[in-house]
Amino acid sequence: MSKSDSKSVGQDKLLSKHDLNQIWYRWGFTHLSSMSYEKIQGHSWAYSYIPFANKFYKNDIEKKRRLLQRHSMFYNTEPQTGQLINGIVASLEEQIAMGKDVSEEMPVNIKTTLMGPLAGIGDSIIQGIIVPILLSIGMSLAKGGSPLGPIFYIVAYGIIGPTISYIAFHSGYKLGVNAIDIIVGENSKRITDAFNILGVMVVGALAANTIVLKTIAKIPMGGKTESLENVLNGIFPGLLPLAMVLLGWWLVSSKQMTATKVILIMTVIVTIGCLIGLF
Amino acid sequence: MDTSLFFPALLTGIFCYLGAIETPWLFGMSGGFYIVGRPLVAGLLVGLAFGDIKSGILCGLAVQAVFIANLSTGGATNSEITYAAYGGIGLAMATTKNPAIAVTLAILIGQTFGLIFYNGRMALYSFWNARAEKAADQADTRGITLNHLVYPQITTFILRAVPVFLAIFYGKGLVNWLINSIPEIITHIIQVLGGVLPALGIALLMGIVIKNKTHLIFFMAGFVLLSFAKLSMIAIVFIAALVAYMYYFASSNKGTGNGESETKEATESAVNTDDEYEDDDLF
Repeated sequence: MSKSDSKSVGQDKLLSKHDLNQIWYRWGFTHLSSMSYEKIQGHSWAYSYIPFANKFYKNDIEKKRRLLQRHSMFYNTEPQTGQLINGIVASLEEQIAMGKDVSEEMPVNIKTTLMGPLAGIGDSIIQGIIVPILLSIGMSLAKGGSPLGPIFYIVAYGIIGPTISYIAFHSGYKLGVNAIDIIVGENSKRITDAFNILGVMVVGALAANTIVLKTIAKIPMGGKTESLENVLNGIFPGLLPLAMVLLGWWLVSSKQMTATKVILIMTVIVTIGCLIGLF
Repeated sequence: MDTSLFFPALLTGIFCYLGAIETPWLFGMSGGFYIVGRPLVAGLLVGLAFGDIKSGILCGLAVQAVFIANLSTGGATNSEITYAAYGGIGLAMATTKNPAIAVTLAILIGQTFGLIFYNGRMALYSFWNARAEKAADQADTRGITLNHLVYPQITTFILRAVPVFLAIFYGKGLVNWLINSIPEIITHIIQVLGGVLPALGIALLMGIVIKNKTHLIFFMAGFVLLSFAKLSMIAIVFIAALVAYMYYFASSNKGTGNGESETKEATESAVNTDDEYEDDDLF
């Protein structure tokens, strides 16, 4: 594509399929490759726009500099579902490069506004639903040491992860700024809430399925001793795991504790419990 | 020294690098952290490296159960799953091939050395970030590539592959000594802790998905469907999807009373009714 083409006003597409895919996979590969607490995924944006900068701002070093600068800021979202934002920003950067009436702050604002909401929904879908469920299936297939379990997981997530990333990027690009209304609009809030309900229920089941805490204490019952675990199971199966996870949730959400502190508290509880013969 | 351990230990170290959260080579997190980084997959890979797939997978399976709710949000993590998986399974494979030993070692490594290395690297990378930012200020695309991709990856390779390789190659004696000299009560505490650790990952997940304390009822419903009704996870996903759909349906038809029609109109009218559900004092 020549320089004069990109300046013509009537044109509404500048990026070829190849340009777009370059932005997609450059982010897809390197989103966390320079991950620090200070920037998280920030510099991956600049990296994914290098071919774009070299192609469209070849003769305008000042614009190229501003493009790379505005894509070197702190950024953090779920990087697979979050490709939706990369798609929206690609459509905005395309319009900026064509000289259309889009301000250079617009991509920055979009990134800071959307990264939070998309991280919330993305983390609950990927880490809360898809990964644990595929792992549960893989683990049941791997019983007895069968390689089928890990192979199932590799193939299943190997297809699902990149597919989510690809679809999210291209739908973000197609919708452009209209996607924002869809993401922060009222109807989307209800869809997000509904997904959250799905997530909360699955996480509840996951808690019952994965946390293991049994008491070995015995209590006297009508002359002989009965295992406390059996008594508890008769009332509420999984009561101890439930108590543990609710404690963890309370410490994390109400007390704002860090993961490390909660680990220490749980270690202390388990140690004391073991020493007094409870667990 | 056992030289036959050289290649398995080296491969395990390289896998530990490939499964890291910051590794780009396998389509970022998709193929790295979420696939090679999972203990279930680590079991297969380490099993291949040591030429004993079955024992590897059994160790991977046991470690995976502890780390199933591993979570990474905003750079913070509850345990370093990659060091835990490759260090724990690798050392177990080099010694007793016992899954219980793999779990104990994985917890010890993941909660101590793993987190120290992880947080150290996160802090260290600010150095490369500052250089990448300077490169962007000068429109130096080569500088961005070097400081975003090349130098950080060399750093992370050194911090992951090398310690895991050394630990497995030289750690055999130490692990054997640990296994023989750790008092039984400590092993018991670590085993119980392994069962409890998923509670933290799940608590962090709850922090993300539970926006309103009344939603705890959905958590309880999911919990009892498994603990009382003994349904499988897949069955519960479908029930949860049904509940979510009804929740969506109910919230988009507030006030109309007409279930099936005019969803769009209802969408707008529902805006007003949302307020009463956002009152935090309700619970």
